[in-house]
Amino acid sequence: MARLSNSMWDRYKYKVNGLVLILSCFFLYKNLFPQFPDAWSTKSIGSFEVTPMPYNLNSPYMHDGTYTKDFLLLFSQGEVADIRQAYFNIGAAPLSLADMQDADAGILHGSQHAQEVHAIAPKVIQADHRAWLTIENWQGKLKTVSWAIPKNLHQ
Amino acid sequence: MAKLSNRFWFKLHGLFSLPIWIIFCFVCLTGTISVISHELTWLTNPDSRASNPQQLAEKPKSQLVDIVQNAYPTASISTVMSFESYIANTVIFTDSDKPYAIAYVNQYTGEIQEVIQGLTFKSFMRSLHAWLFFPWQNGYSIGYYLVCFMAFVMLGALVSGLMIYKKFWRSYTQPKLRIHQGKKTFLADLHRLAGVWSMWFLILMSITGLWYLAQAIMWQNDIEIEAHAPVVEVSQLPYGVADVPVRPYSLADAVNIAEQKFPNFKSTYIMLPEHFRDTYKVYGEGDGIFYDQYSYGVTVNPWTGKVESERSPEKMNALQTLSHIANPLHYGNIGGLWTKIIWFIFGALLTGMSITGFLIWGGRTVKAAKDTDNQRSIFSKVPVTHLVQQDGK
Repeated sequence: MARLSNSMWDRYKYKVNGLVLILSCFFLYKNLFPQFPDAWSTKSIGSFEVTPMPYNLNSPYMHDGTYTKDFLLLFSQGEVADIRQAYFNIGAAPLSLADMQDADAGILHGSQHAQEVHAIAPKVIQADHRAWLTIENWQGKLKTVSWAIPKNLHQ
Repeated sequence: MAKLSNRFWFKLHGLFSLPIWIIFCFVCLTGTISVISHELTWLTNPDSRASNPQQLAEKPKSQLVDIVQNAYPTASISTVMSFESYIANTVIFTDSDKPYAIAYVNQYTGEIQEVIQGLTFKSFMRSLHAWLFFPWQNGYSIGYYLVCFMAFVMLGALVSGLMIYKKFWRSYTQPKLRIHQGKKTFLADLHRLAGVWSMWFLILMSITGLWYLAQAIMWQNDIEIEAHAPVVEVSQLPYGVADVPVRPYSLADAVNIAEQKFPNFKSTYIMLPEHFRDTYKVYGEGDGIFYDQYSYGVTVNPWTGKVESERSPEKMNALQTLSHIANPLHYGNIGGLWTKIIWFIFGALLTGMSITGFLIWGGRTVKAAKDTDNQRSIFSKVPVTHLVQQDGK
């Protein structure tokens, strides 16, 4: 004969099971209707106008040996095809192009409709850090612009 | 070594499967549907079908890209994918009014049959099965771990089930399913019979599940199974030019390079460059039947035509091999539609086993609860003085 147990776990285990599946419905809804943090201010850089938006307010994460923070960059002016290479990094100063172009960390990618970037970031974002966009065009001209980082991203 | 009792194995069997019975059943069910998700799409959506009444030859992927580009001149195409021969190719793109769009393009006629935005049935089912839609953060999803944990459940239930069911091999030669001796006997026979006949499937699902768990741990700890495709050296890009340069090597060239490199190569997954230092990524299937449809391929430098990296079963290490054979073994697409049907049947059996197992346990528990209630009601009718006298004996 089966033995009955009346522990807390025994009483609620199937309800916990069901709750996990209800959570799936909740996460599906969140997936279909994602909420993103506010976009930052639009700034001009050479012939381009760019608006960055972080994907979330989480701390930078480790990816391929580099701390990384993901952004979407909308180009409201200028053709993305005119960019030879462009990089985004967070820190006290922009990283030099010579350093960044050795690999692909922090490189802008995507289409003319939206660019994405896994920005090179420090492990901890501090108040004196800024976000730096460096663009090189086909004529070899280099431009850099920066944004102050909102307080909700400081740790 | 002390011999473990049947009661112990029985209790262990219940411990493995019962506490998370609902999730286990759900994961089995969604996995079973996922196996035939392409075919269900084919059945329910005529636009997803690659009908070919005129027996035309399949068009190259580069031509499908041109067809979509001509139809949507402002589109930016990122990916081309192909599946079974009866399912239309998908071309993924973004456009000024479409943040993410999938075009079903008939690979024989070149007709764009439908453009959809959002989640497809196949993506929905596979995401639901693999990580229950729990969010991903920093390379891991709690849902993914939860599903992987089912591998332990399945393995534990299988081993303990076989310890309970002595001489289980008789089910192969003398299968027993008593349908006229009551519900309890029928369910027990069905559970045991399905379990023994699905043994190979349970082992396969457990092993691939354990691999997915190992893979998840590696993802979370940033351990790369396959190295990222290298980027083009910046020195290879034109410099100081007035206009946007055109890449000398096209997608068609990249596919040709892959086809020359691997015998019987069929491209199934192509990614176009996402920036000017990016490469063409051409992956596909070749001669190895146990390997997935991304096991062969090259990344091609669009400025020099050089193969920057190469992938094939012969060059894979042990982890890479596991990552490329796990999916065909888990989803049963090693031999096309027929193996998918076999996997679907055994997936349905496994889902059914989780239900019959619960019903068997439920029946016993309800009976035990009733017996306890009956005992309580008998004792409640006996005078207290009598009970004290009984105790004092």
